[in-house]
Amino acid sequence: MPSVEHNPDSVTQSEWSPHILLTFLQSQSQNALTRLYQRPSSCLSIFRLLRPLERQLIMNILWLESATPLSTMSAWVTQEGKKPYSDSLSTLARLHIIPNSTTKLALNATFRASLRQAITGGGTTGSFGVPAEPDPQHSPPDIATLDAYALERWETILHYMVSSGTGQHPTKPSQEVLFLLQRSGLMTRVHGGVLQITSSGFQFLLHDPHAQLWELLLQFLHMAEERQMDLVEVLSFLLMLSTMELGREYSTENLSPTQSAMLADLRNYGLVWQHSTSARQFCPSRLATTLTSSSPPLPTSRSTGGGSHDQGFIVLETNYRLYAYTDNPLQIAVLNLFVNLKSRFPNLVVGAITRESVKKALANGITADQIISYLTTHAHPQMRKNKPLLPVTVQDQIRLWELEKNRLKSQEGYLYTAFASQADYEYVLNYAKQLDVVLWDNPTKRCFFGSLDGHANIRGFIERRSAGIA
Amino acid sequence: MDRASHLSVVVDLSPNHWYLSSTRTQQNARPLSLKSFLSQLLVFLNSHIACKDENTLAVFGALPGRSVMLHSSTNESSGNPFEMADADTYRPFKILDAEVMQTIARHVETLGPSDIKKPVELVGALSKSLCYINRITTASSTQSNEQTAALDPRILILSVSPDQSSSYIPIMNSIFAAQKLKVTIDICKVYGSESVFLQQAAHLTGGSYLHLERADALLQYLTMSFLPPPSIRQLLSVPTQDKIDFRAACFCHKRIVDIGFVCSVCLSIFCQPVPVCSTCRTKFPIKTLQRLNAARPTVATPATTPTVQTALSLPSSNSIKGTNVNGSQSTVQNGSR
Repeated sequence: MPSVEHNPDSVTQSEWSPHILLTFLQSQSQNALTRLYQRPSSCLSIFRLLRPLERQLIMNILWLESATPLSTMSAWVTQEGKKPYSDSLSTLARLHIIPNSTTKLALNATFRASLRQAITGGGTTGSFGVPAEPDPQHSPPDIATLDAYALERWETILHYMVSSGTGQHPTKPSQEVLFLLQRSGLMTRVHGGVLQITSSGFQFLLHDPHAQLWELLLQFLHMAEERQMDLVEVLSFLLMLSTMELGREYSTENLSPTQSAMLADLRNYGLVWQHSTSARQFCPSRLATTLTSSSPPLPTSRSTGGGSHDQGFIVLETNYRLYAYTDNPLQIAVLNLFVNLKSRFPNLVVGAITRESVKKALANGITADQIISYLTTHAHPQMRKNKPLLPVTVQDQIRLWELEKNRLKSQEGYLYTAFASQADYEYVLNYAKQLDVVLWDNPTKRCFFGSLDGHANIRGFIERRSAGIA
Repeated sequence: MDRASHLSVVVDLSPNHWYLSSTRTQQNARPLSLKSFLSQLLVFLNSHIACKDENTLAVFGALPGRSVMLHSSTNESSGNPFEMADADTYRPFKILDAEVMQTIARHVETLGPSDIKKPVELVGALSKSLCYINRITTASSTQSNEQTAALDPRILILSVSPDQSSSYIPIMNSIFAAQKLKVTIDICKVYGSESVFLQQAAHLTGGSYLHLERADALLQYLTMSFLPPPSIRQLLSVPTQDKIDFRAACFCHKRIVDIGFVCSVCLSIFCQPVPVCSTCRTKFPIKTLQRLNAARPTVATPATTPTVQTALSLPSSNSIKGTNVNGSQSTVQNGSR
C-alpha cells in the first residue's frame, strides 16, 4: 500500500465511509429524527457531516418549493457519478432527509425549513446558543487557557488508558469517565477491580483525536439512552456545541434539565469549560467546536519543543530505527506500545521497531495496518519528502510479522472417535463430508474432526444409525 | 477525500448597470434590483461556508474606478467590530453578511459624481482575487500540510457591465495567471449582453459560463452551477457553453475585431495591416502590406461569420497566405506576453 494519499479525484465517493454519527442516526426512528431536525443548528451540523455529493444534492433542492421529478435530477448526473448518486440518495433516505420515492425528490419539510433558517439566519429558536452577559467577577477564559484545559482533560483520559497495567499511576480521570471507558469496552475490570486496557482500547489509542472523540461521544449517546435521557436533546446539545464560537461564554439558562445534566459529563471530557460547577455560563472548548469539521480538535500537544508538533514528529529509517521528536508523555506511551524505546532525551526519544515489540502490539490486538497508519499520520515533515513516506522494507516487515502471527488458526469443533468398525467410520465420515463440515480426518486411527455447526447433524445421524441397528 | 475549497467572488457593482438591471423595460422583463441580488448572493455565500467548516471565502467588489476587498474569511475577528451576538444565527454567517453589506455601503457612499463615469475595475478585482489565492495557496504549501494544500481554489465573477475592450490584455493575462495557478474561473452574467472576454475566461480555465435567463431565480442558478467544487462537478455536471465567442481585441485601437492581423514575431493583433509592429518593432515588407490591404474587405466587415485572418508575414521572405478559420471554434490565442 502506498502510504501517501494520492490523486483524490480518482477516489469515488462510495469508498468514503459515512461519518460514525450518521450510522448511529440511521438507526433512530423517523420521529426522533424529525424532532432533531427542528433545530437549525442540528441541521447545519448534520449537513456538514454528510458527504460532498449528498450536500450538493440537498443544496440543489433546498430552495425549491415543489418536488423535483427524479428524472430531472438524474439528468445532471454524469456517467461516473451514477453509483455515488444512488448511494447518496439511499443514505439521505435512511436519514429521512429525502424520503424514498420513485418519482419525486423533495426534502423532509422540517429539515428544509430548519436548514433554510440556519443559512438565512433569524427566527426565534435560539439554537446557536444564547450568549451570556459578561460577568464582572469572572472574565471569560482566553483561547489559550481553553486549549490547555481541553488538552489536559483529554490527555488525562488517554494517558490513563495507555499506562493502565504498566504499574504507573497517572492522574485518574473522574468516575464517570472511567465508567464510560468500561462500558465502551475500551477498558475492562480485571481481578482485584483494577481497570485494564483491552485490545479495542489499544486500537482506539492509535486513532486520530477526532475519531476518538466521536467514538466516546457515541458511547455516551448509547448510555444516555439507557439512562432514560432524551436522546434528541442530548444530540441537539452536542450539535449545538459544534456550531458555537471558541472563546465565547454562553448562558445555561435556556438549557433543558437534561442538557444541564450533560454539562457535568462534558466538563469531564474537556468539551466544555465552566469556572465552577454551578456557574451559569459555559465555554465550549476546541474539542467541541470542531466536532463537525476536520480541523484538528486539539491544539499542539503539550510540549516545549514548539513548532511542528501538530504536523508530526516521527522519523523512521530503513534500519527500523525510530526517532520521535516529542516530550509528550502520552505520545511516548503510545509509541511504547509497538516500539522498543532505547534512549530518551529532553525532546527526543530513540527506539527501534523490533520483532518482539511488534509482536507485543499484535498480541494486544493492534493490527499492522493501525501501526502503519499511526506512523504515517504522525510522520515528521522531513519524512513527507520521501515517496513512499515510510520505508517499504519496514512496512513490509511489519505486515510479515503480522502474517507470522496468523499462521495458527483455531477453530472450535468436535472430535469423533472410537468407531466400532471401519465401515461405520467411513459411513459417518461420508455423511459429514457431504455436509462439508470435516476439518481433519485420519482413517488409520478411525477418527475425524468436525466443525461446531455440523455437530448437531452428525450426532443425530449417528444416533439414528445406532437406533436403526439396535 | 472531502477537501476544503476556496471561493473568491468578484461582484460587479457598477451603479449604472444595476440601475438598468432594476428597471423594467421590454428587453428586461424580469428586473433584478441590487438589493434582491445582494440578499440572494449572501445566501449563496452562506451556503458555501455551510458546506464545510474549513471552506474559505473572499469577496471582492468592482466599483467604478476602484476595486475593494469586501470580506475575507481568513482575517476575521480583527477587533471584532460586530460584537452583538445572536442566538438565532450562526456567527460566521452573521459576520460575513454584516461585513459585506457594510463595506459595500461605505464604498458606495464615497463615490463622487466624477467616479460614476469611470468604467468598473473588474480587472483590478480579478487580479486582487488571484493574488489572494496565490497567497493562501503558497502559504499553505510551505507548511507542507496536506489538508490545507489542497484547496481547489475557484473564482466566481458576477458581471453586469459589458466588456471594455481596453481591458482585453489585462483580462487575458489574468486568465493565463489563473491557468498557471490551476484556478477555475466561473462566470455568471447577471445582466446585459454576452461578454466575449469572460466567455473565454471560463472556457480557458475549465469553468462554467452562465447567462442568467431568469434573474429572479438567481439563487437557484448560483447553487446548482457554482456551489459544487470541481471534484463534485465530475459527478454532477454543471452547465457549460456550447458556443464560445473567441474574438480578440486589437492592440492598436482596443476594438473587438472579426478579422485581425497578427504579427508573425510576437503574435500581437492589429485591426489593420501595419508597417511596424508596435509591440516588438518588427518591420514588415511593403509588398506584404499592399497584398494584405488588397485582401481586406472593402466596406466594414460583412456581418456574416466572423473570421480571423491569420496573416503570417515573415519580415523578409514571401508572406504565407493567411488561413481562414471559423471564428466560433478556434482562432488566434494572443496576448501571451
